[in-house]
Amino acid sequence: MRALVAAAVGLAAALALVLTVTAIGPPEGSTSPKPLLTSAPVHP
Amino acid sequence: MRRRASLVLLAVAVFLAALAPLLRWYAYPRLAKVPADTYRTAVLEAKDATLVDYARMEPRTVPKVTLVQTLKGNVEEARKVRRETGRDVVVWDTLTHMTGPDGAMISRIPERYVFDAHGQQPVHAGGEHVDGTPVRRDGIEYKWPFLVEKRDYRYFDMQTRASAPIHYRGTRSFRGLDVYYFEQTVPWTRVPFPKTLPLGVTPETLRQLGLERWYTTRRMFWVDPVTGAPVNGEEIHREELRWTDRPEKQPVTAFAGHVKMRADYVDSTVALVTSQRRLVLLLTSWLPWGSAGLGGALAALALFLEARARPRRAFTGQKAHDGGKTERQAPGKRAARSRGGSP
Repeated sequence: MRALVAAAVGLAAALALVLTVTAIGPPEGSTSPKPLLTSAPVHP
Repeated sequence: MRRRASLVLLAVAVFLAALAPLLRWYAYPRLAKVPADTYRTAVLEAKDATLVDYARMEPRTVPKVTLVQTLKGNVEEARKVRRETGRDVVVWDTLTHMTGPDGAMISRIPERYVFDAHGQQPVHAGGEHVDGTPVRRDGIEYKWPFLVEKRDYRYFDMQTRASAPIHYRGTRSFRGLDVYYFEQTVPWTRVPFPKTLPLGVTPETLRQLGLERWYTTRRMFWVDPVTGAPVNGEEIHREELRWTDRPEKQPVTAFAGHVKMRADYVDSTVALVTSQRRLVLLLTSWLPWGSAGLGGALAALALFLEARARPRRAFTGQKAHDGGKTERQAPGKRAARSRGGSP
């Protein structure tokens, strides 16, 4: 019985971690203020 | 104590074992996406190219033609399209600016490319266009999806404004990376004039002269199979101005050249892709396999500890934590009693 409880705790923790991380997701950021270029930059 | 340790180990083992498939099949498809705020530039050059001189309407050879490509993620527009469609999208506003050896503009073609951030499929919203003309893409452009497959894809051509297959031609080694090589040939096709041309020339002027623009290209891409990002690109590109009502007149070569990515841009692209591919590999391979392996090892250790704890409890007469089995006397005690005891 205790082994089952331990396994359930492990499974729940994995689910909680993955669901939280995917719900937060990567940051969206904002549009770059840099312009669309009309001349070749010297360096990348 | 050993019993508690084995239970903790079992919980951690199940946690890690469950994490492996969850990361690969639940987290990865949701977390791996093209960032909405991307800003990238690429400089491509064609050495000893042929270019039309619009003043004389004659082709001339020039030492170098430069193409500057900028991709800029429009986050506000992506947010708007997501609200409308419910899909996680990326909106790229791009500009392909072509200059001659003196740095003067030859043509400039802006584009808007709207696509699914995860799977790269085009999304028909948000005003996608090429040079101000609305288009409806049905293929990829600029980038392949994550985890590229060894097959042909449909690739959108901004000049013809149509999609056609781009063929997988095998795996190559490029600057230490194993990449997939793709090739597409666009046959001679009549295409629209760019809306912005040099010397005040307009598409209408050229049409009045009785000219139309034809184009062919052989496009080559070396693509990182993990991120789907091209690490190198080349084009053998030809454009002609053909006379519509004077078939006896020779077409004028508007542009002909072998366009290659500038070496420093190849280096920086390879460095960027190498760092990005680690993040994708972390989610698709390293973390899932690592946690599965570690989970298996910990489960084995938990079983081992449990197996060692059981006979010890039985022989020492401790009560088992499994519902209370009948207590047994340790054989040592029983043996001592049968021998009549010892001092």
